Amino acid sequence: MIEFKNVVKTYKNGTVALNGVNLQIEDGEFVFIVGQTGAGKTTIMKLLLREEKTTSGKILVDGIDLSKLSYFRVPYYRRRLGIVFQDFRLFREKTVYENVAFAMHAVGVPPKKIKKRVPALLNTVSLGDKSTCKPDELSGGEQQRVALARALANNPKIIIADEPTGNIDPKMSLEIMNLLVKINKLGKTVVVITHEKSLVDYYQQRVVTIDHGLVSEDKVGGMFE
Amino acid sequence: MKQYKPSYFIGQAFRGIWRNGVMSFASIAVLMSCLVVLGSFALLVMNINENLNDLGLMNEVMVFLEFDLTEEQIQNVEREIKSIPGVGDVERITADEGIRSMMEKAGENAYLYEDFLDDNPLSDSFRLTYVDGAKLIDIEYNLRHIGPEIRLVRDQRDLAATMQSLKNGIMLIFSWFLIVLFIVSVFVIINTVKLSVYSRKSEIIIMRYVGATGLFISLPFIIEGALIGLVASAISFLAENFLYGYIQTALADLTGIISIVPIETIRIPMLLAFIAVGVLTGIVGSTISLSKYTRE
Ligand SMILES: Nc1ncnc2c1ncn2[C@@H]1O[C@H](COP(=O)(O)OP(=O)(O)O)[C@@H](O)[C@H]1O
Ligand SMILES: [Mg+2]
Repeated sequence: MIEFKNVVKTYKNGTVALNGVNLQIEDGEFVFIVGQTGAGKTTIMKLLLREEKTTSGKILVDGIDLSKLSYFRVPYYRRRLGIVFQDFRLFREKTVYENVAFAMHAVGVPPKKIKKRVPALLNTVSLGDKSTCKPDELSGGEQQRVALARALANNPKIIIADEPTGNIDPKMSLEIMNLLVKINKLGKTVVVITHEKSLVDYYQQRVVTIDHGLVSEDKVGGMFE
Repeated sequence: MKQYKPSYFIGQAFRGIWRNGVMSFASIAVLMSCLVVLGSFALLVMNINENLNDLGLMNEVMVFLEFDLTEEQIQNVEREIKSIPGVGDVERITADEGIRSMMEKAGENAYLYEDFLDDNPLSDSFRLTYVDGAKLIDIEYNLRHIGPEIRLVRDQRDLAATMQSLKNGIMLIFSWFLIVLFIVSVFVIINTVKLSVYSRKSEIIIMRYVGATGLFISLPFIIEGALIGLVASAISFLAENFLYGYIQTALADLTGIISIVPIETIRIPMLLAFIAVGVLTGIVGSTISLSKYTRE
């Protein structure tokens, strides 16, 4: 479970990005976080990743108070999360297979287990036949699916995607969204940050609207105005 | 960490060195000059110490006698000297021996002294040693009060003090030199590793997002710094060996006058010290350059 309690985030330069956010996301939920550019959506993700610390208020993830997390525990905490970015962030000189394997290697998964798991992950995102390609040989949608496979690599409970369809054409976007829904059905909590109205309307899931650093609306099956 | 293969970290480290070839080379060169200066300094101080001990400058007193003493008077004085508490060896140097030792030192100009062999302007003297420096004042007091046969009592405290301050001066200059060189070395290594870190910035960001530990992320860079240090220390060791051997040969003619610490006795400690200092500098440099990226 993810809980935000009166979360305020003021950046070093004085910008108030979040101004008292209260939010609760249950295990296995699918949630859209929407809002205009600059509303504070990415800040929510940075706080969840513990890339930034809250200025005041509290964030609990599975009961872990992020502000009390020590430097040495942060990496282990992050393994609970799978992250997907708008710009994919793949290694361009590595193959599809190596990109996914690297995430496992970096947290000390034994090579044997990596060899077994990567093909299964690539099948989950329907890229089983592209494992030896480099990212530049793939379409945007395919690259984002590699990023999704990587996010799933260490079997996190929570997937957070920040504008995952922002760099992808509309038809491919649906494909990515369908994959995220499928991943949610596999039992993972999925948080999708987006400002694409049509997608949000189409899926009819819980929608949390952020406006000027505050939750302005939180409706299940809500419409994005 | 046991699941990680060391080959991964070492391979990444080599890639880093290769990628910034020029900077790696510069780091090695700067660190190397630093180590060679350090080594030369240590060797110089060692040799100064060795020679000071040889000369026994610290614990020697010369006693010059009046001229025209009878052999019996001289032997009486010798007995008196030997009876003074704290006096060690006593060696008589006749006027004749004094001239001959001067001629020896003069080398080809020895003929200048030949006339003195018949008409010796020197007097007999005693060279005596003592062990406890604290007793020197008492010993000298007793020597002067043996009688009118004693013309002059001279100790080498001034010379010893001069040598000591010379040593201190050399130490001071080299210490400053070393400090500056080490700062430069660390600085150059910081920048080399920084370049390497920068070229892998996106990789580091992704590693952090997937939950790689700080150690996993920084180890390749730390090894890179350590490797630079290792290469620099190996080259410095060879250079120092060569340099010292060369100096040893050049000074071979002077073996009677100064003694040179043989390289064999210091080779291993020098190698170990070089590796320790080189690798440590490399690790410190790379750790500093990483701090920004491993801070969370
Ligand atoms: N590192 C930062 N330093 C200062 N201000 C920032 C930083 N990151 C974001 N902001 C500011 O915080 C506000 C919220 O940003 P963000 O969370 O990225 O919004 P969104 O993702 O909804 O577009 C914006 O005004 C943005 O300019
Ligand atoms: Mg954003």
